[in-house]
Amino acid sequence: MSVSKLTLKRDRFEAKTKQFRTKIKFDQWKGWVYLAPCIALLLVFTGWPIVNTLAMAFQNGYDTMEWISGIDFTIGIDNFLKVISYSGFKDCLFNTILLCVITVPISTILALLIAVCLNSIKFLSRFLQTIYFLPYVTNSIAIGMVFAAMFNMVGTAFGGQNELIQSAGIINNILGIFGVEPINWINEGSGYWENIFVMSFYIIWNALPFKILILLGGLQSVNKQYYDAAKIDSTPKWRVFTKITVPLLSPMIAYVVITGFIGGFKEYSSIVGIFGDDMGPTGDPRRLNTMVGYIYNFIDERQGQASAAALILFGIIFIVTMINLYVSKKKTHF
Amino acid sequence: MSDKIENSKNVTSETKGDSAIRVMGSRDINKLRTSAKIGKGAGMVLTYIFLIFIAVVVLFPFYWMIISSLKTLDEYKLSVPTLFPETIVFGNYAEAFTQANLGRLFLNTVYVGLVSTILSLVITVLSAFAFARLEFKGKNALFAVLLATMMIPGELFTITNYQTVFYLNWMNTFTVLIVPFLVSVFYIYLLKQNFMQIPNELYLAAKVDGTSDLKYLWRVMIPLSLPTLISITILKMMGAWNSYVWPNLVTDSDEYRLITNGLRNAFVESTGDVNIPVQMAAVAIVSAPLFLVFLFLRKYIMKGVSRSGIKG
Amino acid sequence: MKRILSIILAVAMCMSVLLLAGCGRKKIADADLSGAYDGSEVTITFYHTMSATNLQPVLGDAIARFNELYPKITVEHKQVGDYDAVRNQIKTELTVGGQPNIAYCYPDHVALYNVAKAVVPLDDLMASTVEVTRADGTKEIMGLTEEQIGNYIEGFFNEGRAFGDGKMYTLPFSKSTEVLYYNKTFFEANNLSVPTTWDEMEALCETIKGIAPNSTPLGYDSENNWFITMCEQYGSPYTSATKVDGTNYLFDNETNHAFVEKFASWYAKGWVTTKELSGGYTSDAFKKAEGELGKSYMSIGSSAGAVHQAPDQVNGEYPFEVGIVPIPQVDPANPKVISQGPSVCIFQQENPQEVYASWLLVKFLTTDVEFQASFSEASGYVPAIKNVNDDEIYKEFLDSADGFKTGIAAYSAKVCLEQEKAYYVSPAFNGSSTARDEVGLLMQSCFSNYENAADKMAMIKEKFAAAIEECEY
Repeated sequence: MSVSKLTLKRDRFEAKTKQFRTKIKFDQWKGWVYLAPCIALLLVFTGWPIVNTLAMAFQNGYDTMEWISGIDFTIGIDNFLKVISYSGFKDCLFNTILLCVITVPISTILALLIAVCLNSIKFLSRFLQTIYFLPYVTNSIAIGMVFAAMFNMVGTAFGGQNELIQSAGIINNILGIFGVEPINWINEGSGYWENIFVMSFYIIWNALPFKILILLGGLQSVNKQYYDAAKIDSTPKWRVFTKITVPLLSPMIAYVVITGFIGGFKEYSSIVGIFGDDMGPTGDPRRLNTMVGYIYNFIDERQGQASAAALILFGIIFIVTMINLYVSKKKTHF
Repeated sequence: MSDKIENSKNVTSETKGDSAIRVMGSRDINKLRTSAKIGKGAGMVLTYIFLIFIAVVVLFPFYWMIISSLKTLDEYKLSVPTLFPETIVFGNYAEAFTQANLGRLFLNTVYVGLVSTILSLVITVLSAFAFARLEFKGKNALFAVLLATMMIPGELFTITNYQTVFYLNWMNTFTVLIVPFLVSVFYIYLLKQNFMQIPNELYLAAKVDGTSDLKYLWRVMIPLSLPTLISITILKMMGAWNSYVWPNLVTDSDEYRLITNGLRNAFVESTGDVNIPVQMAAVAIVSAPLFLVFLFLRKYIMKGVSRSGIKG
Repeated sequence: MKRILSIILAVAMCMSVLLLAGCGRKKIADADLSGAYDGSEVTITFYHTMSATNLQPVLGDAIARFNELYPKITVEHKQVGDYDAVRNQIKTELTVGGQPNIAYCYPDHVALYNVAKAVVPLDDLMASTVEVTRADGTKEIMGLTEEQIGNYIEGFFNEGRAFGDGKMYTLPFSKSTEVLYYNKTFFEANNLSVPTTWDEMEALCETIKGIAPNSTPLGYDSENNWFITMCEQYGSPYTSATKVDGTNYLFDNETNHAFVEKFASWYAKGWVTTKELSGGYTSDAFKKAEGELGKSYMSIGSSAGAVHQAPDQVNGEYPFEVGIVPIPQVDPANPKVISQGPSVCIFQQENPQEVYASWLLVKFLTTDVEFQASFSEASGYVPAIKNVNDDEIYKEFLDSADGFKTGIAAYSAKVCLEQEKAYYVSPAFNGSSTARDEVGLLMQSCFSNYENAADKMAMIKEKFAAAIEECEY
């Protein structure tokens, strides 16, 4: 097909497009019809709970049980003040943000690497893909317990620092092969950064399958022509990666980053999986508490406070997502 | 001593290699190609090492589940875990199956999973289409609002939603397990992104030809985004499979219960401890069909990929 | 744009208003309960944690016998996971008035339900002398007879009144306490005597550590039970159901600092550990083979978990024999041991007949010797009533007691039953579960930080203050 023919076609096309644009005005209602089932369900099962959450957050000291018993609450911002004044709140916030900042970039890059590698091989490709998705079919409780066991140091059935230490966890055994002294990852007396390392490892591990799934799906729908062109030009691999793969995948990458941040700010169950309900190693409970952990602490008895904390969390996530969207709008190629 | 010899050997071979490259580089293009091939081969080896390493890391918990399901309760509770069961107990599997009424729960879960996946796909496709292709006022504002709802911790909805379904008289029905979670903003967002990659010209051309929206959606958009749709299907099925809190709250007979509820409740011992090996066996039993379904669906992913070649 | 937005807003508002109207609060009213069950058809639901395999059949049998007396009362019972699951489910159901009729409960749960005034006070029902006719023509009074009340083990019974308002809210269903399991074979071989006080325990730990340096002589399963029990034994304040000087939480005092300091020093010397600190059940350390690192020779845990404390046979022989005694005391003349295990409570309902029927079932289950005996045998918990001991089959069960896997459940039940005077009750109020959690965590962190703290007492005081702050927050 020659270039002139193409331009001709495009001109004709644009003419029709203009004609079509006028028609669009009459199609206003159509969008709403398509969205009707979605909006109806969201109003009932998401919209109304949000309204209710707002209502609870702004009633001072709201508690569902007390409400049933006939008590009325005054309107105000006491719940928010109470949340902020909590001495552990800063730690919750810090832990949450720290885990996000560590895990989202690493898991995204790792997933991208894996997806690209998977896409570049033939032998074993299907087999490996299957393996990477396996975490979806296991129970998350079981996985958490496995990680705890892997990083476990000792069943310290005896106290005291100067007693013998018997290393049990797989990780310490593996490190032992390289001559590294056993590290106390998650047990009693473990350090904060060791804890954070284990949590990051687990969260990344947990996040990988979803990200690989999405990115690989994206990669496989990328037009092969771009790569064929690159092949003919014998473009170096890393250039193909940065100049073709990443830009073409940018919508998918934006998606996994945004959802990664949102999920990261809601981190909770993974910490329970490893450290249990106390959200910290033995002897230092709540050390790794997060925002959602805070909400769960009070969802039982002080729903007003829990709602206020949820709204604060929402505010934070909203801001971060807006920043993300702004950046991705500039960087992605749709 | 022998180490040193080894070392010096290495050094000489390296220098040899170096000079060889220099010689090659200056002369033969054919040889350059072979060296590129070797480089490519080395790259492949590295790729495989990397992928297999990750695979091992990913697989380990799965292995753990299996071996735990073969352990006795006493061995499982050892503070220093054993990597391989000292005594292999298959009885956990038999116990799991009979104790948890798995058959019925299994059928329920398949039913709920299928119906909610199908309905959810319909809603998601329509919504994503509207957001990606249709022009109407308030679209962007509405989409922003939807995205925003994604950020609220869903746990806080539970109490209110429970009240809602109670007043709708939906307790102990399949409806209550399906309807509240049909809309997922996640999926809409995902599919919308995918739809937007399909050139708008195709849609406008279809309009010009007088093709109806639904026909266009069915003929062009859906085939082109099949990989994403299948991803969504998998995620949704997994969701049905793993949901626990909500079904536990709104159903109380085996007639409507889902598989995870059975899993958690069936193995509580009289002391309140959970018999984890039996539970793990049950998880393994339950995971097996899901795994098979997943393998089956993967073929469609490949098909979808090859079909998407038509675009552009 | 504006029109569409306004339409959406209008729809949203309509829905909200509709739902708000629908969700109008359902106040739970105190019903008048001076009447009696009139023989009408009612269905009552019972939430519990009994497993389908070994305990539900026992309950099923009892319900069948109950239905012979009251055929019109249909009982639907359901296992709702563990204790926390029961509490969470009922809490949610209360918001819409969908609560069950009867439920397994711990005092903390009842305190929570009572914020919504949802639990029926049993005083009127217990005192009622109105007669009801049973299907076989015989009659019984609605309430409990003097004899029946006296038959409940006092410590268990008093738990139902620990809510600060003097009213009775629960009846004991099946109970357990903490007992000291010790390695009888080892004790006899080394000529050790079993401790009855904490001072004797201290000396004994030192001796055992000398004999077996690799061992941790004592394991105590639950830190929070330990703390609360020590408060009781010393007679020092823990919590109060009614506020004292503006607070419910009274455990930050010198006596408590002192015993925590003492036990923390034991921990630092490797004499003692707990479930959380060791990261495993203390029964596992107790069952370890001789000479193994961290083996313990004494273990304090629930009497209902006795089977887990006895080792399995190795090569056809039991590695050691287990002995069971009451836990050490501060003052053996005034012993205090914790009372655990489920009670049952009845929920308010619009139809008083449901409440009456529920009461009749609760009364039946907690006074019926056959049920209490067979439930105890199947579960490892002890009966809540005394005259079960006269039951022939139960006697036979208790006689089978020995220190090995087969007879240990009976052995622990026996030791448990001998302590009926020692059970204490700690107050339950909205926030008492927080206090329980916090003192457990407090023990853990004091133990864990003891060895490396420069000023040990200052560290302990700081942790106490932090725990109080968490409770009050």
